[in-house]
Amino acid sequence: MSMQSITLGHYIPGNSLLHQLDPRVKLISLFILIVALFLIKTFNGFFFYIFFIGALFISSRLPWKYFFRGLKPVLFIVLFTLILHFLFTKGGEVYWRLGALTVEEMGVFMGTFMTLRLILLVVTTLLITLTTSPVAFADGIEHLLRPLRPLGVPGYEIAMMMTIALRFIPTLMEESDKIRKAQMARGADFETGNIFRRARNMIPLLVPLFVSAFRRADDLAVAMEARCYRGGEQRTKMRELKAHFLDYVGIFTVSGICLAIFFTGI
Amino acid sequence: MLIEARNLSYEYMPGTPFQVEALKNITLGIEKGSFVGIIGETGSGKSTFVQHFNGLLKPTSGQLLVNGKDIWSHSIDLRALRTKIALLFQFPEHQLFEETVFKDVAFGPRNSGLKGKELAGRVRMGLEMMGLDYEIYRDRSPFTLSGGEKRRVAMAGILAMSPEVIILDEPTAGMDPLGRQNFLEQIERLHREENLTVILVTHNMEEIACLADKLFVFSRGKIVLQGSPGDVFASAEQIREIGLDVPSLTRLLQELKKKGKNIRTDLFTAEEAAAEILCRLGGRDRL
Repeated sequence: MSMQSITLGHYIPGNSLLHQLDPRVKLISLFILIVALFLIKTFNGFFFYIFFIGALFISSRLPWKYFFRGLKPVLFIVLFTLILHFLFTKGGEVYWRLGALTVEEMGVFMGTFMTLRLILLVVTTLLITLTTSPVAFADGIEHLLRPLRPLGVPGYEIAMMMTIALRFIPTLMEESDKIRKAQMARGADFETGNIFRRARNMIPLLVPLFVSAFRRADDLAVAMEARCYRGGEQRTKMRELKAHFLDYVGIFTVSGICLAIFFTGI
Repeated sequence: MLIEARNLSYEYMPGTPFQVEALKNITLGIEKGSFVGIIGETGSGKSTFVQHFNGLLKPTSGQLLVNGKDIWSHSIDLRALRTKIALLFQFPEHQLFEETVFKDVAFGPRNSGLKGKELAGRVRMGLEMMGLDYEIYRDRSPFTLSGGEKRRVAMAGILAMSPEVIILDEPTAGMDPLGRQNFLEQIERLHREENLTVILVTHNMEEIACLADKLFVFSRGKIVLQGSPGDVFASAEQIREIGLDVPSLTRLLQELKKKGKNIRTDLFTAEEAAAEILCRLGGRDRL
């Protein structure tokens, strides 16, 4: 639970084109791109898609290693998919045979296809999450949920909860790091023993962490009430979301790509 | 030399855009039985530095030696080391977790293998050192105590390990003046009577000036001044430059000296300073 691990899927500040786009545009684009990814039927389609994503990636000037780091957690699923398809999807020419096991043309095709789709799915999502600050994200979600308000979807409250939760992740990480060290200084052992022993040994860390989380929640509630906070209607914002020319260009480009994939059938 | 740092550097989150060099090439030594003050502005690296003493942080480069041995060489048992070199973090009351005061204070000594009578003896000792009555407090829940009591219980938990060195990170932050004074008197007594080595991290100059026999001043991850309180506070200009101040007594004495009075400026208790002022300026030599 070190501080290093929080960079995963974390916002990397910058001022590239992607950083500047409206979060609503990015959320909608992400949705459209994911749809497009599932519409793709041929490898040509993937080349077209990779070309587009690659251009965005280069323009975003994000370091390569963040993508590899982001891909690490899904590596297992990707390999699993690849192996399953290679071994069990049948059809076409037989490339390789060992007893009852065969690797056939269809399997190789589907395996590579699905793997590429999975990887691109993660890379596209990373491209958006790495260039959008969590606060902007929450703002965007709130805005997009606004039309659902009459149906009883509490968009504003959801966004507020997201913002608060995100805001307190680093604080609680820091807190847990501090408590862990304080207990280690009293000879606590978090590293050795079997799973039950280890779970028991976590008590000196978890109890103070919960106590402090509740204390913080209380303090925050009092601080918000002291400022006469009441959410929802008629609340103005410090940063109003405003779509600019580039945002429209972005939405049109992405929609265009999706439609092109759909109608050309690549 | 009991604790020694050699060219010690430490970086937070190396290899990310959030990388910060917290400590730069620090070399210092702390002798057994001394009372050392570590002062510096907020974010100067002083808290980060003391966490190296018991192996909670591993230096990015350089060495930390205890009794002449590098603590990161594999022959050292860090858990055993931590019971000898105890560290009390800022706001230690936040680390309490047990159902009773007894259990919480016993956590440290139990981790070093103590049981039964010996353990109870240690708990009693720890609580009594902090001026808490064993019979009254042992069965109470730490969460029902007042802020000041919680802090003393946390401190008792550290003392119950009977350490040789005790590192205190801003131990009096948020305490009222009387509580502060009592707390420091306890520490001072332990230092004097039990020959406990004390390392006190603070940015309260008044507090440290009359307690410590050696001061290290940190600024931006480096040691900028070191020596006895008298030597360090003599460089008042430099101290102010890094955002700290000299004790108000020292300022008074230094102002008097500037006015041409022949007066000592290295006195840090009100009594001594008053005596010096009376002696030098008494009667015939008025301001």
